Amino acid sequence: MTAPEGYVAVKRYDEIPEGGIVPFEVDDDERILVKLEGKIYALSGICTHEYAELAEGDLEDHVIYCPLHGSGFDLETGRVTALPATQPLPVYDVQVVDGVVYVSREPRQG
Amino acid sequence: MPGQRSCVILGGGVAAYGAAEALRAAGFDGPVTLVSAEPVVPYDRTTLSKAFLQGQKTAEEILLKPVEHYQGLGIELRLGQRASAVDLDRHELTLEPGERLPFDTLLIATGAEPVRLRLPGFDLPGVRYLRSLADAQALREDLSRAERVLVVGCGFIGAEVAASARTLGKQVTVVDPLPVPLAGPLGEEVGAILAEVHRRHGVELRLGQKVAELRGHRRAEEAVLESGERIACDLVVVGVGVRPAVALFQGSGLQIEDGILVDERCATGVPGVYAAGDVANWWHPAIGRRLRVEHFDNAAQQGAAAARAIAGDPQPYAPVPYFWSDQYDLNLQYAGYPGPWDQVVLRGDPAAPSVTAFYLRQGVVEAVVTINRPRELRPGRRLVEARARVDPAVLADPATDLRALAQAARAAE
Repeated sequence: MTAPEGYVAVKRYDEIPEGGIVPFEVDDDERILVKLEGKIYALSGICTHEYAELAEGDLEDHVIYCPLHGSGFDLETGRVTALPATQPLPVYDVQVVDGVVYVSREPRQG
Repeated sequence: MPGQRSCVILGGGVAAYGAAEALRAAGFDGPVTLVSAEPVVPYDRTTLSKAFLQGQKTAEEILLKPVEHYQGLGIELRLGQRASAVDLDRHELTLEPGERLPFDTLLIATGAEPVRLRLPGFDLPGVRYLRSLADAQALREDLSRAERVLVVGCGFIGAEVAASARTLGKQVTVVDPLPVPLAGPLGEEVGAILAEVHRRHGVELRLGQKVAELRGHRRAEEAVLESGERIACDLVVVGVGVRPAVALFQGSGLQIEDGILVDERCATGVPGVYAAGDVANWWHPAIGRRLRVEHFDNAAQQGAAAARAIAGDPQPYAPVPYFWSDQYDLNLQYAGYPGPWDQVVLRGDPAAPSVTAFYLRQGVVEAVVTINRPRELRPGRRLVEARARVDPAVLADPATDLRALAQAARAAE
Protein backbone atom coordinates (compact mmCIF):
# COMPACT_ATOMS: atom_id res chain seq x y z
CA MET A 1 0.00 0.00 0.00
CA THR A 2 1.52 3.34 -0.98
CA ALA A 3 0.75 6.51 0.93
CA PRO A 4 -1.97 8.79 -0.39
CA GLU A 5 -0.62 11.79 -2.32
CA GLY A 6 0.99 14.31 0.07
CA TYR A 7 0.82 11.96 3.04
CA VAL A 8 3.38 9.91 4.95
CA ALA A 9 2.81 6.63 6.77
CA VAL A 10 3.43 7.01 10.50
CA LYS A 11 2.28 4.04 12.51
CA ARG A 12 -0.19 1.20 12.64
CA TYR A 13 -3.50 2.36 14.11
CA ASP A 14 -3.43 -0.50 16.65
CA GLU A 15 -0.02 0.56 17.97
CA ILE A 16 -1.41 3.81 19.33
CA PRO A 17 -3.04 3.40 22.74
CA GLU A 18 -6.36 5.05 23.47
CA GLY A 19 -5.67 8.40 25.20
CA GLY A 20 -2.04 8.17 24.10
CA ILE A 21 0.19 10.94 22.74
CA VAL A 22 2.80 9.51 20.38
CA PRO A 23 5.68 11.60 19.01
CA PHE A 24 6.90 11.19 15.44
CA GLU A 25 8.95 13.16 12.93
CA VAL A 26 8.44 14.19 9.35
CA ASP A 27 11.54 15.68 7.72
CA ASP A 28 13.00 16.48 11.21
CA ASP A 29 9.78 18.26 12.12
CA GLU A 30 8.48 17.08 15.50
CA ARG A 31 4.83 16.13 15.56
CA ILE A 32 2.41 14.14 17.67
CA LEU A 33 -0.40 11.69 17.09
CA VAL A 34 -3.22 11.56 19.60
CA LYS A 35 -5.85 8.83 19.79
CA LEU A 36 -9.00 9.87 21.59
CA GLU A 37 -12.24 7.91 21.53
CA GLY A 38 -10.76 5.95 18.66
CA LYS A 39 -10.11 9.00 16.51
CA ILE A 40 -6.60 10.00 15.45
CA TYR A 41 -5.41 13.60 15.52
CA ALA A 42 -2.07 14.88 14.21
CA LEU A 43 -0.56 18.11 15.44
CA SER A 44 2.77 19.88 15.70
CA GLY A 45 4.80 18.46 18.56
CA ILE A 46 6.20 21.74 19.88
CA CYS A 47 4.29 24.35 21.85
CA THR A 48 3.93 27.70 20.08
CA HIS A 49 4.74 29.63 23.27
CA GLU A 50 8.18 28.37 24.32
CA TYR A 51 10.07 25.23 23.39
CA ALA A 52 8.27 22.32 25.03
CA GLU A 53 7.52 18.85 23.72
CA LEU A 54 3.80 18.31 23.66
CA ALA A 55 4.34 14.55 23.74
CA GLU A 56 5.11 15.14 27.43
CA GLY A 57 1.86 17.07 27.81
CA ASP A 58 -1.57 16.07 28.95
CA LEU A 59 -5.04 15.58 27.49
CA GLU A 60 -8.27 16.79 28.98
CA ASP A 61 -11.62 17.32 27.24
CA HIS A 62 -10.25 17.30 23.65
CA VAL A 63 -7.54 19.79 24.55
CA ILE A 64 -3.81 19.08 24.65
CA TYR A 65 -1.96 20.97 27.38
CA CYS A 66 1.69 22.00 27.22
CA PRO A 67 3.70 20.31 29.97
CA LEU A 68 5.51 23.50 31.02
CA HIS A 69 3.08 26.41 31.18
CA GLY A 70 -0.37 24.96 30.59
CA SER A 71 -1.04 26.38 27.13
CA GLY A 72 -4.06 24.55 25.73
CA PHE A 73 -4.76 23.67 22.09
CA ASP A 74 -7.93 22.22 20.61
CA LEU A 75 -7.10 18.80 19.15
CA GLU A 76 -9.32 19.26 16.13
CA THR A 77 -8.34 22.80 15.07
CA GLY A 78 -5.17 23.70 16.99
CA ARG A 79 -6.97 26.79 18.28
CA VAL A 80 -5.59 28.21 21.56
CA THR A 81 -7.92 27.40 24.45
CA ALA A 82 -5.60 28.52 27.23
CA LEU A 83 -2.77 31.06 27.27
CA PRO A 84 0.18 31.76 27.51
CA ALA A 85 0.37 30.59 23.87
CA THR A 86 -1.39 32.98 21.53
CA GLN A 87 -0.50 31.31 18.22
CA PRO A 88 -2.50 28.27 17.14
CA LEU A 89 -0.82 24.89 16.87
CA PRO A 90 -0.43 23.59 13.31
CA VAL A 91 -2.67 20.59 12.68
CA TYR A 92 -2.30 17.92 9.99
CA ASP A 93 -4.81 15.83 8.10
CA VAL A 94 -5.05 12.17 8.97
CA GLN A 95 -6.15 9.18 6.92
CA VAL A 96 -6.35 5.64 8.18
CA VAL A 97 -6.04 3.15 5.34
CA ASP A 98 -5.80 -0.63 5.89
CA GLY A 99 -4.93 -0.08 9.55
CA VAL A 100 -2.12 2.36 8.81
CA VAL A 101 -2.17 5.99 9.96
CA TYR A 102 -1.12 8.48 7.27
CA VAL A 103 -0.48 12.13 8.05
CA SER A 104 -0.33 15.01 5.58
CA ARG A 105 3.10 16.51 4.99
CA GLU A 106 1.74 20.05 5.01
CA PRO A 107 -0.35 21.56 7.79
CA ARG A 108 -4.04 22.11 7.23
CA GLN A 109 -4.73 25.66 6.11
CA GLY A 110 -6.73 28.14 8.21
CA MET B 1 -26.70 42.96 23.07
CA PRO B 2 -25.71 46.37 24.41
CA GLY B 3 -25.30 47.78 20.88
CA GLN B 4 -22.99 50.73 20.49
CA ARG B 5 -22.05 51.21 24.15
CA SER B 6 -18.36 51.98 24.45
CA CYS B 7 -15.78 50.24 26.60
CA VAL B 8 -12.50 51.59 27.88
CA ILE B 9 -9.95 49.05 29.07
CA LEU B 10 -7.55 50.75 31.44
CA GLY B 11 -4.31 48.79 31.58
CA GLY B 12 -1.92 47.11 29.19
CA GLY B 13 -1.18 43.71 30.64
CA VAL B 14 -2.58 40.30 29.87
CA ALA B 15 -5.89 41.10 31.58
CA ALA B 16 -6.36 43.89 29.05
CA TYR B 17 -5.39 41.54 26.24
CA GLY B 18 -7.78 38.82 27.44
CA ALA B 19 -10.55 41.39 27.70
CA ALA B 20 -9.95 42.84 24.25
CA GLU B 21 -10.12 39.41 22.63
CA ALA B 22 -13.14 38.30 24.63
CA LEU B 23 -15.17 41.47 24.05
CA ARG B 24 -15.09 40.96 20.32
CA ALA B 25 -15.49 37.18 20.59
CA ALA B 26 -18.63 37.79 22.67
CA GLY B 27 -20.05 40.03 19.97
CA PHE B 28 -19.46 43.38 21.65
CA ASP B 29 -19.55 45.72 18.66
CA GLY B 30 -19.21 49.12 20.33
CA PRO B 31 -16.05 51.20 20.37
CA VAL B 32 -13.26 49.72 22.48
CA THR B 33 -10.24 51.73 23.60
CA LEU B 34 -7.24 50.22 25.36
CA VAL B 35 -5.34 52.76 27.45
CA SER B 36 -1.92 51.75 28.73
CA ALA B 37 0.75 53.74 30.49
CA GLU B 38 3.30 51.47 28.85
CA PRO B 39 4.35 52.37 25.30
CA VAL B 40 3.82 48.83 23.96
CA VAL B 41 0.90 46.51 23.28
CA PRO B 42 0.32 43.79 25.90
CA TYR B 43 3.22 41.38 26.23
CA ASP B 44 4.07 38.22 28.14
CA ARG B 45 5.29 39.75 31.38
CA THR B 46 6.27 36.33 32.72
CA THR B 47 9.23 36.18 30.34
CA LEU B 48 10.83 39.36 31.70
CA SER B 49 12.59 37.58 34.57
CA LYS B 50 13.49 34.55 32.45
CA ALA B 51 13.85 34.28 28.66
CA PHE B 52 13.91 38.04 28.08
CA LEU B 53 16.41 38.73 30.85
CA GLN B 54 18.63 35.91 29.60
CA GLY B 55 18.60 37.41 26.12
CA GLN B 56 16.76 34.49 24.55
CA LYS B 57 13.82 36.62 23.44
CA THR B 58 13.49 40.13 22.10
CA ALA B 59 10.86 42.71 23.05
CA GLU B 60 9.15 41.99 19.73
CA GLU B 61 9.01 38.27 20.42
CA ILE B 62 7.23 38.61 23.74
CA LEU B 63 4.27 40.60 22.44
CA LEU B 64 1.11 38.57 22.92
CA LYS B 65 -0.10 39.85 19.54
CA PRO B 66 1.28 42.46 17.16
CA VAL B 67 -0.26 45.94 16.86
CA GLU B 68 -2.10 44.99 13.66
CA HIS B 69 -4.07 42.38 15.57
CA TYR B 70 -5.81 45.10 17.59
CA GLN B 71 -6.48 47.07 14.44
CA GLY B 72 -8.09 43.95 13.04
CA LEU B 73 -10.32 43.73 16.09
CA GLY B 74 -11.25 47.39 15.73
CA ILE B 75 -9.67 48.32 19.05
CA GLU B 76 -8.21 51.76 19.47
CA LEU B 77 -4.82 51.72 21.19
CA ARG B 78 -3.81 54.59 23.44
CA LEU B 79 -0.32 53.50 24.40
CA GLY B 80 2.09 55.41 26.61
CA GLN B 81 -0.85 57.35 28.01
CA ARG B 82 -1.43 57.62 31.72
CA ALA B 83 -4.80 58.33 33.29
CA SER B 84 -4.54 61.16 35.79
CA ALA B 85 -8.14 61.31 37.04
CA VAL B 86 -11.40 59.43 36.92
CA ASP B 87 -14.96 60.60 37.44
CA LEU B 88 -17.26 57.64 37.74
CA ASP B 89 -20.43 59.77 37.99
CA ARG B 90 -19.67 61.38 34.65
CA HIS B 91 -18.20 58.15 33.25
CA GLU B 92 -15.04 59.90 32.20
CA LEU B 93 -11.29 59.41 32.46
CA THR B 94 -8.75 62.20 32.18
CA LEU B 95 -5.59 61.24 30.34
CA GLU B 96 -2.35 63.16 30.74
CA PRO B 97 -1.91 65.96 29.91
CA GLY B 98 -5.64 66.72 30.13
CA GLU B 99 -7.65 64.96 27.45
CA ARG B 100 -11.08 63.67 28.51
CA LEU B 101 -12.02 60.15 27.54
CA PRO B 102 -15.67 59.24 28.13
CA PHE B 103 -16.87 55.66 28.51
CA ASP B 104 -20.06 53.72 29.00
CA THR B 105 -18.26 50.80 30.59
CA LEU B 106 -14.82 50.75 32.16
CA LEU B 107 -12.63 47.74 32.82
CA ILE B 108 -9.94 48.47 35.38
CA ALA B 109 -6.93 46.28 34.61
CA THR B 110 -4.17 48.43 36.06
CA GLY B 111 -2.33 45.49 37.59
CA ALA B 112 0.11 45.93 40.42
CA GLU B 113 3.26 47.85 41.25
CA PRO B 114 6.43 46.72 43.00
CA VAL B 115 6.73 47.56 46.67
CA ARG B 116 9.67 49.96 47.05
CA LEU B 117 12.11 49.38 49.88
CA ARG B 118 12.58 52.55 51.93
CA LEU B 119 15.84 51.57 53.57
CA PRO B 120 19.03 53.65 53.57
CA GLY B 121 20.85 53.46 50.26
CA PHE B 122 18.03 51.98 48.21
CA ASP B 123 17.77 55.23 46.29
CA LEU B 124 21.29 54.74 44.89
CA PRO B 125 21.79 54.03 41.19
CA GLY B 126 22.27 50.34 40.55
CA VAL B 127 19.11 49.35 42.44
CA ARG B 128 16.50 47.83 40.15
CA TYR B 129 12.92 46.62 40.39
CA LEU B 130 11.29 44.41 37.79
CA ARG B 131 7.73 44.82 36.60
CA SER B 132 7.61 46.40 33.15
CA LEU B 133 9.40 45.79 29.88
CA ALA B 134 11.24 49.09 30.47
CA ASP B 135 12.37 47.79 33.87
CA ALA B 136 13.56 44.57 32.25
CA GLN B 137 15.44 46.39 29.50
CA ALA B 138 17.24 48.52 32.07
CA LEU B 139 17.99 45.49 34.23
CA ARG B 140 19.27 43.50 31.26
CA GLU B 141 21.59 46.36 30.39
CA ASP B 142 22.89 46.60 33.96
CA LEU B 143 23.24 42.85 34.19
CA SER B 144 25.44 42.75 31.10
CA ARG B 145 28.01 44.85 33.01
CA ALA B 146 27.55 43.39 36.48
CA GLU B 147 29.56 40.63 38.08
CA ARG B 148 28.12 40.47 41.58
CA VAL B 149 24.36 40.59 41.84
CA LEU B 150 22.48 40.96 45.09
CA VAL B 151 18.85 39.90 45.02
CA VAL B 152 16.72 41.24 47.84
CA GLY B 153 13.67 39.05 48.37
CA CYS B 154 13.21 35.44 47.32
CA GLY B 155 9.69 35.40 45.99
CA PHE B 156 9.00 34.47 42.37
CA ILE B 157 10.73 37.54 40.91
CA GLY B 158 13.74 37.19 43.20
CA ALA B 159 14.12 33.46 42.63
CA GLU B 160 13.74 33.75 38.85
CA VAL B 161 16.08 36.72 38.56
CA ALA B 162 18.64 34.88 40.69
CA ALA B 163 18.36 31.84 38.40
CA SER B 164 18.67 33.97 35.26
CA ALA B 165 21.67 35.86 36.62
CA ARG B 166 23.39 32.58 37.56
CA THR B 167 22.59 31.19 34.13
CA LEU B 168 24.37 34.25 32.71
CA GLY B 169 27.40 33.40 34.88
CA LYS B 170 27.03 36.12 37.51
CA GLN B 171 27.88 35.72 41.18
CA VAL B 172 24.54 35.85 42.95
CA THR B 173 23.60 36.36 46.59
CA VAL B 174 19.96 36.26 47.69
CA VAL B 175 18.76 37.72 50.98
CA ASP B 176 15.31 36.97 52.37
CA PRO B 177 13.90 37.24 55.90
CA LEU B 178 12.10 33.90 55.63
CA PRO B 179 13.86 30.57 56.24
CA VAL B 180 13.34 29.23 52.69
CA PRO B 181 12.52 30.71 49.27
CA LEU B 182 8.84 31.26 48.52
CA ALA B 183 7.85 30.18 52.01
CA GLY B 184 4.66 32.24 51.87
CA PRO B 185 2.93 30.80 48.81
CA LEU B 186 4.59 27.36 48.75
CA GLY B 187 5.50 26.50 52.35
CA GLU B 188 8.66 25.24 54.00
CA GLU B 189 8.74 21.77 52.40
CA VAL B 190 8.72 23.00 48.80
CA GLY B 191 10.76 26.08 49.72
CA ALA B 192 13.51 23.81 51.07
CA ILE B 193 13.61 21.92 47.76
CA LEU B 194 13.99 25.21 45.87
CA ALA B 195 16.70 26.42 48.28
CA GLU B 196 18.70 23.28 47.55
CA VAL B 197 18.34 23.80 43.79
CA HIS B 198 19.66 27.37 44.07
CA ARG B 199 22.54 26.26 46.28
CA ARG B 200 23.44 23.52 43.84
CA HIS B 201 23.58 26.15 41.08
CA GLY B 202 25.99 28.22 43.14
CA VAL B 203 23.71 30.91 44.56
CA GLU B 204 24.73 32.22 47.98
CA LEU B 205 21.59 32.18 50.11
CA ARG B 206 21.26 34.43 53.15
CA LEU B 207 17.92 33.20 54.45
CA GLY B 208 16.30 34.35 57.66
CA GLN B 209 18.22 37.60 57.18
CA LYS B 210 17.46 41.18 56.31
CA VAL B 211 19.34 43.93 54.56
CA ALA B 212 19.87 46.92 56.84
CA GLU B 213 21.27 49.32 54.25
CA LEU B 214 23.10 49.73 50.97
CA ARG B 215 26.29 51.73 50.72
CA GLY B 216 28.18 53.15 47.79
CA HIS B 217 29.60 56.31 46.34
CA ARG B 218 27.93 56.78 43.01
CA ARG B 219 26.23 53.41 42.87
CA ALA B 220 25.25 50.66 45.26
CA GLU B 221 28.50 48.85 46.05
CA GLU B 222 27.83 46.98 49.22
CA ALA B 223 24.94 45.69 51.29
CA VAL B 224 25.05 45.54 55.06
CA LEU B 225 22.82 42.89 56.60
CA GLU B 226 21.23 43.25 60.02
CA SER B 227 23.63 40.52 61.14
CA GLY B 228 26.49 42.87 60.28
CA GLU B 229 27.64 40.84 57.29
CA ARG B 230 28.75 42.95 54.34
CA ILE B 231 28.14 41.77 50.78
CA ALA B 232 29.89 43.45 47.88
CA CYS B 233 27.72 43.95 44.80
CA ASP B 234 27.53 45.99 41.64
CA LEU B 235 23.83 45.44 40.99
CA VAL B 236 20.89 45.10 43.36
CA VAL B 237 17.54 43.68 42.30
CA VAL B 238 14.65 44.11 44.70
CA GLY B 239 11.69 41.73 44.58
CA VAL B 240 9.72 42.20 47.76
CA GLY B 241 6.22 41.88 46.39
CA VAL B 242 3.68 44.09 44.68
CA ARG B 243 0.66 46.18 45.62
CA PRO B 244 -2.46 46.54 43.51
CA ALA B 245 -2.34 49.71 41.42
CA VAL B 246 -5.36 51.53 42.83
CA ALA B 247 -4.06 55.08 43.35
CA LEU B 248 -6.21 56.54 40.59
CA PHE B 249 -9.36 55.19 42.22
CA GLN B 250 -8.84 56.39 45.79
CA GLY B 251 -11.89 58.50 46.61
CA SER B 252 -13.62 57.60 43.33
CA GLY B 253 -16.51 55.83 45.03
CA LEU B 254 -15.15 52.33 44.46
CA GLN B 255 -14.62 50.03 47.41
CA ILE B 256 -10.89 49.44 47.83
CA GLU B 257 -9.49 46.87 50.18
CA ASP B 258 -6.36 45.03 49.05
CA GLY B 259 -7.38 45.83 45.49
CA ILE B 260 -10.66 46.89 43.97
CA LEU B 261 -13.53 44.87 45.34
CA VAL B 262 -15.64 43.15 42.71
CA ASP B 263 -18.29 40.46 42.81
CA GLU B 264 -18.18 37.03 41.22
CA ARG B 265 -18.97 38.61 37.86
CA CYS B 266 -16.06 41.08 38.07
CA ALA B 267 -18.44 44.02 38.69
CA THR B 268 -17.65 46.78 41.16
CA GLY B 269 -20.42 48.51 43.15
CA VAL B 270 -20.59 51.20 40.48
CA PRO B 271 -22.71 50.18 37.48
CA GLY B 272 -20.68 49.80 34.30
CA VAL B 273 -17.35 49.58 36.11
CA TYR B 274 -15.47 46.27 36.29
CA ALA B 275 -12.05 45.14 37.42
CA ALA B 276 -9.85 42.16 36.54
CA GLY B 277 -6.35 40.83 37.07
CA ASP B 278 -3.85 41.67 39.81
CA VAL B 279 -5.85 44.75 40.84
CA ALA B 280 -9.13 42.88 41.41
CA ASN B 281 -10.12 41.40 44.72
CA TRP B 282 -13.07 39.23 43.81
CA TRP B 283 -15.61 37.01 45.48
CA HIS B 284 -14.84 33.44 44.46
CA PRO B 285 -18.17 31.62 44.56
CA ALA B 286 -16.78 28.07 44.66
CA ILE B 287 -14.75 28.61 47.81
CA GLY B 288 -16.86 31.30 49.42
CA ARG B 289 -14.16 33.86 50.08
CA ARG B 290 -12.34 36.72 48.45
CA LEU B 291 -9.18 36.21 46.40
CA ARG B 292 -6.70 38.47 44.71
CA VAL B 293 -4.24 36.65 42.49
CA GLU B 294 -1.02 38.10 41.06
CA HIS B 295 -0.44 35.69 38.18
CA PHE B 296 -0.65 35.66 34.40
CA ASP B 297 -3.30 32.97 33.96
CA ASN B 298 -5.77 34.59 36.32
CA ALA B 299 -5.30 37.97 34.69
CA ALA B 300 -5.92 36.51 31.21
CA GLN B 301 -9.00 34.58 32.28
CA GLN B 302 -10.48 37.22 34.54
CA GLY B 303 -10.02 39.87 31.87
CA ALA B 304 -11.99 37.64 29.53
CA ALA B 305 -14.66 36.97 32.19
CA ALA B 306 -15.10 40.70 32.82
CA ALA B 307 -15.36 41.28 29.08
CA ARG B 308 -18.15 38.73 28.76
CA ALA B 309 -19.99 40.47 31.60
CA ILE B 310 -19.55 43.81 29.80
CA ALA B 311 -20.81 42.21 26.58
CA GLY B 312 -23.99 41.16 28.37
CA ASP B 313 -23.17 37.57 29.33
CA PRO B 314 -22.06 37.64 32.97
CA GLN B 315 -20.98 34.28 34.38
CA PRO B 316 -19.60 33.49 37.81
CA TYR B 317 -15.81 33.55 37.68
CA ALA B 318 -14.69 30.52 39.68
CA PRO B 319 -11.33 29.27 38.42
CA VAL B 320 -8.74 27.12 40.11
CA PRO B 321 -5.86 29.62 40.05
CA TYR B 322 -2.81 28.44 38.12
CA PHE B 323 0.75 29.63 37.70
CA TRP B 324 4.17 28.37 36.80
CA SER B 325 7.76 29.31 37.52
CA ASP B 326 10.88 28.24 35.64
CA GLN B 327 14.23 28.42 37.43
CA TYR B 328 17.29 26.91 35.67
CA ASP B 329 15.89 23.71 34.13
CA LEU B 330 13.35 23.35 36.91
CA ASN B 331 9.68 23.70 36.05
CA LEU B 332 7.24 24.36 38.85
CA GLN B 333 3.49 24.51 38.37
CA TYR B 334 0.79 25.33 40.88
CA ALA B 335 -2.95 24.85 40.73
CA GLY B 336 -5.08 25.65 43.70
CA TYR B 337 -6.49 28.09 46.17
CA PRO B 338 -3.93 30.14 48.03
CA GLY B 339 -4.43 30.31 51.74
CA PRO B 340 -3.75 28.40 54.88
CA TRP B 341 -3.13 24.66 54.84
CA ASP B 342 -2.50 22.29 57.69
CA GLN B 343 -0.67 19.49 55.91
CA VAL B 344 1.71 19.13 52.97
CA VAL B 345 2.00 15.70 51.37
CA LEU B 346 4.99 15.03 49.12
CA ARG B 347 4.98 12.44 46.36
CA GLY B 348 8.12 11.54 44.45
CA ASP B 349 11.76 12.41 44.98
CA PRO B 350 12.49 15.81 46.57
CA ALA B 351 16.23 15.38 45.99
CA ALA B 352 16.06 14.95 42.21
CA PRO B 353 13.89 17.03 42.36
CA SER B 354 10.89 15.32 40.80
CA VAL B 355 8.11 15.83 43.24
CA THR B 356 4.46 16.72 43.63
CA ALA B 357 3.18 18.48 46.74
CA PHE B 358 -0.42 18.44 47.87
CA TYR B 359 -1.63 21.13 50.27
CA LEU B 360 -4.47 19.92 52.47
CA ARG B 361 -6.75 21.76 54.83
CA GLN B 362 -8.91 19.64 57.07
CA GLY B 363 -8.35 16.76 54.68
CA VAL B 364 -9.41 18.67 51.54
CA VAL B 365 -6.91 19.11 48.70
CA GLU B 366 -6.59 22.90 48.40
CA ALA B 367 -3.62 23.10 46.05
CA VAL B 368 -1.08 21.05 44.17
CA VAL B 369 2.47 21.89 43.11
CA THR B 370 4.42 19.87 40.61
CA ILE B 371 8.18 20.19 40.29
CA ASN B 372 9.41 18.58 37.07
CA ARG B 373 6.32 16.32 37.07
CA PRO B 374 3.97 18.07 34.66
CA ARG B 375 1.73 15.06 34.12
CA GLU B 376 0.55 15.21 37.73
CA LEU B 377 -0.58 18.82 37.46
CA ARG B 378 -3.92 18.36 35.73
CA PRO B 379 -5.05 15.36 37.75
CA GLY B 380 -4.03 17.30 40.87
CA ARG B 381 -5.95 20.31 39.65
CA ARG B 382 -9.03 18.16 39.21
CA LEU B 383 -8.76 17.00 42.81
CA VAL B 384 -8.66 20.65 43.89
CA GLU B 385 -11.58 21.56 41.69
CA ALA B 386 -13.63 18.68 43.08
CA ARG B 387 -12.81 19.74 46.67
CA ALA B 388 -11.68 16.15 47.09
CA ARG B 389 -10.79 14.54 50.40
CA VAL B 390 -8.04 12.01 49.88
CA ASP B 391 -6.11 9.97 52.41
CA PRO B 392 -2.60 11.53 52.58
CA ALA B 393 -1.06 8.05 52.42
CA VAL B 394 -2.86 7.43 49.13
CA LEU B 395 -1.60 10.74 47.69
CA ALA B 396 1.97 9.98 48.71
CA ASP B 397 1.92 6.39 47.42
CA PRO B 398 3.79 6.25 44.08
CA ALA B 399 1.55 3.33 43.08
CA THR B 400 -1.57 5.50 43.23
CA ASP B 401 -2.95 6.32 39.79
CA LEU B 402 -3.67 10.06 40.20
CA ARG B 403 -5.56 10.14 36.94
CA ALA B 404 -8.00 7.49 38.12
CA LEU B 405 -8.28 9.23 41.48
CA ALA B 406 -9.09 12.51 39.77
CA GLN B 407 -11.66 10.90 37.51
CA ALA B 408 -13.37 9.34 40.50
CA ALA B 409 -13.38 12.68 42.31
CA ARG B 410 -14.83 14.41 39.28
CA ALA B 411 -17.53 11.79 38.92
CA ALA B 412 -18.43 12.10 42.60
CA GLU B 413 -18.70 15.87 42.35
